[in-house]
Amino acid sequence: MPRRRAYAGSGASLISRRSFLGGVAAALGGLMLGGCGVTSLAAERLVVDFWNLFGGGDGARLDEMERAFRESRPEVRLNSTTLAWGAPYYTKLAMSAVGGRPPDVAILHQSRLAAYAPAGLLEPLDPQLLSEFDMGPDSFLPEVLEASRYEGEIYAIPLDTHPFVQYYNTDICKEAGLLGPDGELKPLEGPDAVIDALKRAKEVTGDLGLSFYPADDAGPWRLWYTLYGQLDGEAILSPDAREVTLDEEKALRAVEFMVALAQDAEVVRANIDYGGSVAQFLSGRAGFHWNGEWEVTTYLEADLPFSMLPFPNVFGENHVSQADRHTFVIPTQSSRDPRSMEAALEFISSMLKSSLIWAKGGHIPAYLPVANSDEYRELKPQSNYAGVADNVVIDPIAWFSGSGSTMEQRASAAFQSAMAGGISPRQAVVRLRTILQELVNIPKPI
Amino acid sequence: MVALGGARQTKYSTKPEAQRRIDLAGFLFVLPFLVFYVAFLVWPVILGLRMSFFNWSLVGTGTGQFLGVSNYGELFTDPDFWSSLWHSILFTLLTVPLLTLLSLGFALLANRAIPARWFFRLSFFAPYVLPSSVMALIWIWMYQPGFGLINSYLTQLGLSEVSWLTDPQVAMISVVIATVWWQLGFSFVLYLAGLQEIPRELYDAAAVDGASSLETTRFITIPLLKRTTILVVTLAVFASLNVFDQIYIMSTSGGLDYQSTRSLIMYVYEQGFTLYRVGYAAAMTYVFFVLVLVVSITGFVFSNRRREA
Amino acid sequence: MTSEAGVPETTNKSRTYRWDSLLSWLAFGVLLVAAILWLIPLLWAVVTALKPESQTTTVPITWIPEGGISAFTFESFWQVLSAGGLLRWYFNSALTSTVITVAVLLLTSLAGFGLSRVPFRGRTVVFWLIIAGLIVPPQILIIPLFMEMDALGFVDTYQGIILPQIASPLGVFIFKQFFDGIPHELEEAAIVDGASRFRIYWQIWMPLARPVIAAVGIFTFVLSWNNFIWPFVVVTNTDMMTIPVGLATVQSSYGLRYADIMASAVLGGLPLLVVFLFFQRQIVQGIASTGLKG
Repeated sequence: MPRRRAYAGSGASLISRRSFLGGVAAALGGLMLGGCGVTSLAAERLVVDFWNLFGGGDGARLDEMERAFRESRPEVRLNSTTLAWGAPYYTKLAMSAVGGRPPDVAILHQSRLAAYAPAGLLEPLDPQLLSEFDMGPDSFLPEVLEASRYEGEIYAIPLDTHPFVQYYNTDICKEAGLLGPDGELKPLEGPDAVIDALKRAKEVTGDLGLSFYPADDAGPWRLWYTLYGQLDGEAILSPDAREVTLDEEKALRAVEFMVALAQDAEVVRANIDYGGSVAQFLSGRAGFHWNGEWEVTTYLEADLPFSMLPFPNVFGENHVSQADRHTFVIPTQSSRDPRSMEAALEFISSMLKSSLIWAKGGHIPAYLPVANSDEYRELKPQSNYAGVADNVVIDPIAWFSGSGSTMEQRASAAFQSAMAGGISPRQAVVRLRTILQELVNIPKPI
Repeated sequence: MVALGGARQTKYSTKPEAQRRIDLAGFLFVLPFLVFYVAFLVWPVILGLRMSFFNWSLVGTGTGQFLGVSNYGELFTDPDFWSSLWHSILFTLLTVPLLTLLSLGFALLANRAIPARWFFRLSFFAPYVLPSSVMALIWIWMYQPGFGLINSYLTQLGLSEVSWLTDPQVAMISVVIATVWWQLGFSFVLYLAGLQEIPRELYDAAAVDGASSLETTRFITIPLLKRTTILVVTLAVFASLNVFDQIYIMSTSGGLDYQSTRSLIMYVYEQGFTLYRVGYAAAMTYVFFVLVLVVSITGFVFSNRRREA
Repeated sequence: MTSEAGVPETTNKSRTYRWDSLLSWLAFGVLLVAAILWLIPLLWAVVTALKPESQTTTVPITWIPEGGISAFTFESFWQVLSAGGLLRWYFNSALTSTVITVAVLLLTSLAGFGLSRVPFRGRTVVFWLIIAGLIVPPQILIIPLFMEMDALGFVDTYQGIILPQIASPLGVFIFKQFFDGIPHELEEAAIVDGASRFRIYWQIWMPLARPVIAAVGIFTFVLSWNNFIWPFVVVTNTDMMTIPVGLATVQSSYGLRYADIMASAVLGGLPLLVVFLFFQRQIVQGIASTGLKG
């Protein structure tokens, strides 16, 4: 049941609890401090508090986009706060919304929407109002916006899509005879073709064919979910997240392919972590690299001879790849000045309009005026995979799912064990099913 | 432990009316504290217990569905609960002996007639006044690969680097080292204070008997420091079992391996605030609290029996 | 060599003396090495903070940057201070710790006095109720306390940070013990004079309790200044954070600038370090005596 903030009056037990303690403690607190809270320091100047989780290159690009907003609206004070990525960020965001004094605007992974919108932590956004700020529904691909909805209402404004893609070292692939006459990678279709290409790259490097990070909380999940999606596997959870609807045969085929990479073809090592995998590709010890597109600037800055393409079509049924999206959301505040809502929307709109800067970091811009611009099309290799923006699989909708979630962590550990040869692919699927079943069995907190 | 004797001897009149006035006065003295105490310590203890029987949600309204004891049942089969409980215990088992022995050793050395005692007190105690986050940031920096101070010296000595933060085999040890560095000063000054209370005459007598200073330390100083040792160990055990700050900060800001270090209080935080399951998290804290109680009662009985022996 | 403790100086047993003197020098040597090891992390943090950013990640490490002492710069300190946040967190820490300390001193000394010097009925029960609180680790209360603060609307407020930290049973225990140990003559004279109990508390006992007030006050201030978990749980708004919470939560959006991170760590630790340098003896005694009695 969505939670309208308690201040409007809610469950009886909450009220009785509050009146029991509230009287005593509020009186004492007020006596002591004259009730000074956050608001006492707010100036008359309009303020937009914005929370994000971007460090590194993304952080710097975000800063550049914020500067554009600050220049266009000098009378608005923008407070941008960066918190540690993943669970720490999402915990703080939820707690601030529960407490009633959250930021005006925050970044949210689209896959996390299921943990926020149903809990009443986010404001639904009126499409009419969005249009007034140049970000009506026609500014986004329908599939991209669809995933921002909960019970028909829009809760999140997409900034980008960030898919799992394939990087390849052009020098190594050329030597391995994998490039076409145009200097581009020849299309790879089917498991055998992909493994064959990785093996040939391995012969050239003398080390590895593929740089990937099985020893990671998310990596194995991203790869498996991509492959399962390409097999056109059924949604792994029922829409209400109360039942596991995993197609075990398809899940098994996906795991078997992952194990084949590490165990049979030996083109990838199961004990490599994220940093190690980036270092391998960077130093030319692997011909291919499977990762999110966000590392593109690392390789560009290193002048590495490389290019990028959508994730290869391994299973042919449905050429998808795993992805997530960064979105802007407006957390529910216990009281809100309508002017601050408008300032928040104006800020988001400004960020979308300058998202070409964002695209340089590899992310596919969600805002169509930018995605369709010539400047973006000329951005190489970033725009090579722009076509997948609406052909992706996003984590199942459940309170325990999404980027950086427990589900991703646990499933990744099971897949890594299989890749390392510790358990059979069949056992990994059994383990996955158990993990999902356990999560589904937990009484839902939302 | 504590006798309530202090005021009993005071000769107030005990006529009923006078006693009522005394009752009122006493009540007024303790009332202000009691209000805070009941509101922010007693009440949360009760509220938490109540929460633990419900599917109580951080983001919900009201209590959520009544679950009986199934929150408790769930945690007995939750591998993450057991592993994080084990991490807290392991952290305690590693930290407490190191902290106690090192601080005792340093205090004994510093208690000898040596110059510049203020300097030693300063260097051992200074880390103790740092907030946990400052300590964590400094040690994340010390533990960096390549350009981190420790690894750089290891490499110069021809040894191989250690992945202090990210290697699951090492991560817990790294936290323990940093914690001992941080907390040693506190036990150190407790021991110094304890040493000062030992009467000088005992040493003089021992010297007359021709005892060497090692014998004096072994047979006089250390036994007389028993009370201090019990205190140092008790405080360290309590603090270590409840560890949260440094492990949380080092894993969120420094990439400390999470799976091999997550403490019980971190798991409580995660279940309650990250996953919204405050009812389940509350159940966990009560099981943990009972364990802490058992440990402290055992420790109390044990130290008392030894004192009598 | 000064001889102020431990080693007895006996001239007739010169062999023992020489042996002991050797031991003392050995002790000094061992301790000196340990003390230097203990100071290295602190010094390394300061040196890193004073380096230009480009020189923080040199391999092998250097204590003095390229270009000598003159290459040291305060740039990172200015950078961190001007980025805001830190000054606000200083203010929040100072405000909340001061209020907590004053409130704890007042409330726990009142309660300690009442329990010790006023023979009201039921005080044994009250006393044991308060003592029972000593075995409740504050960490296990974060979940219900947050829900309580949420119900009260105190999340992200100073009240939220302060109120739960005032309920300190240790202070009551220490004040009561102190008052128990004082003879009664003074008090009885005052009672004969017809002074009210509050005046006796305020004008006779509190001045006597000055050392305990100092000890409990220092202990409470240091603990609340350095408290991490509770302010971390109850505050999400960066403007309301205390120093320890802000340092651990807010990240620079420019990626890892090590000199800046170390500068903020040094600045975060500085206030208590400076106070400690000036009041070393009082602080050590305060903490030791509170710890010993507790």
